[in-house]
Amino acid sequence: MKRSAAARAALAVAVLLPVVAASAIVGLSTGAGALSLRDALAGREPDATVLFRLRVPRVLLAAEVGAALSVAGVALQALLRNPLADPFVFGLSGGAAIGTALVTVASGTVLGAAASSAASLLGVLPAQLAAVAGAMAAALLVFTLGRARGQLEPARALLVGVVFNSFASALVLSVEAVLRPDQMQAVSLWLAGALGYEAMPLLVGAALALVVPALVLVALAGRLNLLALGDEGAAALGVDVSRTRLLAFFAASAAVGIAVAFTGLVGFVGLIVPHAVRLLTGPDHRVVLPASALGGAAFLILADALARVLFRGLGAEPPVGAVTAIVGAPLFVLLMRSRR
Amino acid sequence: MTPLLEGRDLRYRHSEGLADAVAGASISVRGGEMVGVIGPNAAGKSTLARLCCGLLPADAGAVILQGAEMGRLSRRERARRVAFLPQNPPHDLSFTAREVALMGRAPHLGLWSLEGPHDLERANAALSELDALDLAERPVSQLSGGERQRVFLARAFAQEAALLVLDEPTAALDLAHQVLLVNALRRRARGGGGALLVLHDLALAGAACDRLLLMDRGRLVADGVPAEVLRPAILEPVYGTVIEVVPNPATGQPLVAPRISR
Repeated sequence: MKRSAAARAALAVAVLLPVVAASAIVGLSTGAGALSLRDALAGREPDATVLFRLRVPRVLLAAEVGAALSVAGVALQALLRNPLADPFVFGLSGGAAIGTALVTVASGTVLGAAASSAASLLGVLPAQLAAVAGAMAAALLVFTLGRARGQLEPARALLVGVVFNSFASALVLSVEAVLRPDQMQAVSLWLAGALGYEAMPLLVGAALALVVPALVLVALAGRLNLLALGDEGAAALGVDVSRTRLLAFFAASAAVGIAVAFTGLVGFVGLIVPHAVRLLTGPDHRVVLPASALGGAAFLILADALARVLFRGLGAEPPVGAVTAIVGAPLFVLLMRSRR
Repeated sequence: MTPLLEGRDLRYRHSEGLADAVAGASISVRGGEMVGVIGPNAAGKSTLARLCCGLLPADAGAVILQGAEMGRLSRRERARRVAFLPQNPPHDLSFTAREVALMGRAPHLGLWSLEGPHDLERANAALSELDALDLAERPVSQLSGGERQRVFLARAFAQEAALLVLDEPTAALDLAHQVLLVNALRRRARGGGGALLVLHDLALAGAACDRLLLMDRGRLVADGVPAEVLRPAILEPVYGTVIEVVPNPATGQPLVAPRISR
């Protein structure tokens, strides 16, 4: 720690940007069919269409979702002062699942029609809208129930989140009993976390929308560091602890909400990327946050590329959420064991 | 001269139904003054310290920092006027000692919380003053209790607040480092700084402080120079045990020890 935080953040970005670029090249050149990047860039068909209509949006989506989940993971781990917090810890996954399942059941009813029209206004599917609404509602509920004497209590909030997620999955299982098999498959694919092909304007809009929570969190980074001293230690250094928690919570939830809207529940990214980044950069959030954004982008691009080639011969692909968990779980254990 | 800290008739109760932890205490710390707070367990010493830093809101009474009422100061402005060392600083931090010392600069930083060369210089000076500069690159989680205490003291020093409120600052320190800390505090006092120290070691309190406040069940039962307060007739009813006080043969300062029969 000879250099200033700004210099270390700049160094981390300088190291990680080429990693993201390399991951993007891997992501762009792998897929169901063979593709020549040179032909595509020269405008030769069908390679150009495949590249610009399919793979570029896909890689961009993976980068956005990976960055959003990782940044949210860092923020939630800091504000709950718990390294095992992941982006869905506040019941977001359970809430998203309930939202999706309910709208699927309700499709054809008044509720379903209302969701459809609201969703089409935003250019998304009813299930996407319901997932975000459910996730946000759940986060607010858990955040509120996790408070005592007007202060968020990390241990309490974590427990409420865990209990809520179990409650939600029980509810979803019950709802699934009344679904048709095809509806049920759609719901479970959604819950597993899958990347699709989104329209470019939507992707650009989402990227711009993600800049807001990211900037809020980077501005809070110094205060998130001080939270490690405990609520009292941070308050003694001039931090408004509850306001910092609330702001970080809303920024993280907004980032997760955007990610959930596109891809459902992609697990492990928000847990493993911050841990891996901290091993390299140390615990300073002013460095960890930007580095995790880039690391998360690279990780999810690569995981998605892996998902696309894994079962290529079978003409199918596993949801990227399954790949992040299959790759992430052993990697996480390895990281934990390698920690000094 | 305006005192660095004035507490007027402070009261605080942790929750309904409990007795007042602080039950009407009035205190002051002037620039250049080192004031010790002594008393048995649960006398309200730490609660008083927290009230003085604005970490707990007083149920009644007023805390005035350098002439300004606590409630009128922003949190950051408070932190520039008073630095606080809690009794049990966290031990599982992966931040290095220097990073922790730099955290003391937080009340002086801007929106993006980036430290400049001046802040680094202040943090290093504080570490060096507490004999912790050679620990600078080590994660706090790997330090011993006394080393960690010195690092957190350096954080409080780096804050450059006129008033230091330290809760049991010598608890984990060996004798040499206790002397080092007292000397450092004395140097700051000569420069106009002040300190409010919660202490259990009465002999150390007597040797280090200009004035002692003796607390018992939330009340201030004595306020005076060490030679006045450190007398068996005053201490014994409060601590509820037989206490011997003899003058130090070298300095004449009171040496205080409980009588333990065997």
